[in-house]
Amino acid sequence: MFELYLTAVIFGLTISGILFLVSVGICIGFGLMRIVNMEQMVYYTFGAYMTYALVSSTGSFLLGLLCGTLVAAGSGYIVETQLLRRVYGKELMFTMVVTFSVFMIGIGLIQYIFGLSSKPVGMPFKVIVTIMGANVPLYRVIVFIISITVYFLIDMFLNKTIFGRAIRAGIENPDQVQGLGINIRRIFTITFVVASGLAGFGGVLNAPLVGVTPYMGFEMLLFAFITVILGGLGSLKGTLVSALIMGQVVSVGGTIYGPLAFVGPFIVMFIVILFRPTGLYGVKGRAFGFEEE
Amino acid sequence: MTSNALLKVTDLNVSYNKLHVLFNASIEVNKGEVVVIVGRNGAAKTTFFRTIAGFLKQDSGTILFKGKDIGNLPAYDIAISGLKYIHQDKHVFADLSVKENLELGSYATKDYNWDRVLEHFPKLKTLMDRKGGNLSGGERQMLLMAQSLLGTPDLILMDEPTEGLAPHFIDDLKAAFKKISQETTMMIIEQNLPLTAEVADRVYAMKEGKVVAEITEKKEIQALTFEKYL
Amino acid sequence: MDKSFLSYIRGPIVMIALLVAARYLFPNKMTFLFEVSTFGIYIIANDILYGYMGMVSFGQPFYLGIGAYTSAIYLAHIGHNIFVAIGLAIIMGLLAGLLFGPAYIRLRGDYFALINAATCAMGLFMVEKILYPITNGDDGLWYRSRFHETPFLDLRKPADVFWFTMIVLFLVLVFYTWLDRSTLGAGLRGIKASESKMKFLGYDTFKLRWTGFTIMTILASLAGSLYAINYGFVNPSITEPARAAEVLVATLLGGGGVYGPIFGTLAFMGIKDFVSSFMDRWELAVGVLTIIVCFKFKGGVWGTLQTIGAKFKTGKAKPADAVSGENAG
Repeated sequence: MFELYLTAVIFGLTISGILFLVSVGICIGFGLMRIVNMEQMVYYTFGAYMTYALVSSTGSFLLGLLCGTLVAAGSGYIVETQLLRRVYGKELMFTMVVTFSVFMIGIGLIQYIFGLSSKPVGMPFKVIVTIMGANVPLYRVIVFIISITVYFLIDMFLNKTIFGRAIRAGIENPDQVQGLGINIRRIFTITFVVASGLAGFGGVLNAPLVGVTPYMGFEMLLFAFITVILGGLGSLKGTLVSALIMGQVVSVGGTIYGPLAFVGPFIVMFIVILFRPTGLYGVKGRAFGFEEE
Repeated sequence: MTSNALLKVTDLNVSYNKLHVLFNASIEVNKGEVVVIVGRNGAAKTTFFRTIAGFLKQDSGTILFKGKDIGNLPAYDIAISGLKYIHQDKHVFADLSVKENLELGSYATKDYNWDRVLEHFPKLKTLMDRKGGNLSGGERQMLLMAQSLLGTPDLILMDEPTEGLAPHFIDDLKAAFKKISQETTMMIIEQNLPLTAEVADRVYAMKEGKVVAEITEKKEIQALTFEKYL
Repeated sequence: MDKSFLSYIRGPIVMIALLVAARYLFPNKMTFLFEVSTFGIYIIANDILYGYMGMVSFGQPFYLGIGAYTSAIYLAHIGHNIFVAIGLAIIMGLLAGLLFGPAYIRLRGDYFALINAATCAMGLFMVEKILYPITNGDDGLWYRSRFHETPFLDLRKPADVFWFTMIVLFLVLVFYTWLDRSTLGAGLRGIKASESKMKFLGYDTFKLRWTGFTIMTILASLAGSLYAINYGFVNPSITEPARAAEVLVATLLGGGGVYGPIFGTLAFMGIKDFVSSFMDRWELAVGVLTIIVCFKFKGGVWGTLQTIGAKFKTGKAKPADAVSGENAG
């Protein structure tokens, strides 16, 4: 019994890691650009499909990882510079619909190239490790460790470099960052490309765990939104903590009672929205997305 | 028609959420001047400033700065070209220290000569490691002015710099204004009429979205005769 | 503005006449036209949220599902009368609006959108898992054989269901025309423009929003009920959160106004129908189209038609012009 739950906890950590990686873009989209970033999961899907394509054709997972992340970042660059720039500052509904359309186009492209059926992706390695009696695939543990490392790298970047500070300042007040003479568009673009690269990276890492299907982004989108809401606007730390919580809700919750794996996150979101709209680490007065009119 | 004005705004019209708020506003600011804009709340003074600084888009009209049309430039390009805008809400980055706030200003302008800037605000030197969120209103105003002085701008727009400040800070700021005006041109929105009388070289009065008067006589300014336009 | 009774029914009559004409011109497209009409009611419901109040919901399939499942459960387990089934769906829609309204409408736009998505996901879970004994889960409910004959129109026959749907759509359109010109409609639009100003003017904006929200749930539920009756079958796919996108896209394509939702539906379903004849899925085309509409045709299909109509205006204005809404875009 103990082993069962321990396994669930470790599986949950892996889910948390993936959730964190794919949520960064949504979190920053809200915090910095003030848009509702529905299309982030396109990059996640692209990353996963690149891995599928390269693993099945060349057998190299590392190549898939590299290409998946680059393709995701590249498509992020195109979308940001060609489309999202025209969307900044527009009303909420508009940003939602535009980014959602991009999401649909991305799904359409995937279906056009790869077809509708879901496909498995081979594990890069099949080693099983035993942690306190629980048997866990080493790959899952590594995914979690990588995600945590990514968090600390981002955190260091934001706190120690001047560019990172400019991003933090932009999250607080983008107008004033511009007023200083900082090219905020460049900050947006670079941040966005990194975030979409991370979403793609998440897709790459998740592909061997869940396989790939054109609609893999839909469910992930809802979960990622919940993660960002629970964490609080523009707070990466909040996103990490809530990803950790969500992973356990899905994994341990699902072990206790199967359907909780799907409904649990929504129940969490329900409670958070109704009782603590600022999330765990949100800034008071600017809960989520947009300021009060 | 050529003009040597540092800033020349002609027939500026601005709408805000489809509501026309600024009507055919035209002003000129010459190098070395301190120009003060006065007007009641709702006279569209802030809208006027935000449009000049590139944060709002005009419907029509031209904005020439140093002879160049800046009407379609993004706000950061305008700032880099030497026109800084200090917002009314005195917002400094709460999460960053005074030093980091200044670093951001230097990052944008590539001007790391802090001594020149801090000479005007000796008090800031003692607050370098304090977080922006823990500063008083006057201290924040000082930090904002220091930040905007980096990169030796040609023109600084200040939106109600003394609003809500303690009297002793206002005296400090007045002294700083006078010193800064030696090296930089300034345009200020100010509700504090006695202060206006003291620092202004020229005054524009605004009412209900229009520039209704220009007062150039120092005597008239000191006698506060422009009050009748408000 | 012309407020006579005739002016309220003139536009809807033309609309219905067009649909009926289309049904006889293209006899094999009857199902398509039925779907356009039903989906149109569903989009009208969403347009009350978006077009009038400026609120976005990612959980519209939930409210559609309430109607569909209420009718289905009644017909499969309890009774045989189709009109009672529709009546129950309307009542359930009303209850849902009254119940969820107070909690949801006080939320800001982004939260409102997402809490509806959460509700929708939980609704899906309810019909799939918790209510399994009643709903049959993924297998769905089948009940066509239990229909009793109804007077005037025999709703067991698809052809008669089409006529019945036309009547319902006509009534909904008349109601929607009325709403467009009423104080209530103006109040709801006022909320979109500036809620604080509305409060300042002395409106109880909470009640206004609540009313709007409840009208939305009732209409969506009615649309769901019509689906359930036409197909004689429901399964949980009707409440899938993923389908919330269709609603938003169709609403946006329409672009507001009294007839925006119908034209939006027509455009959306038409594209879907057309695209799926040479492509497996329609997402790509709809996505590209939506972006074009977003940036180039801000008024949507209906708004663009009106603009074109105004350009070619030749003295006799189209009747629909007289009742165009101000809530486009």
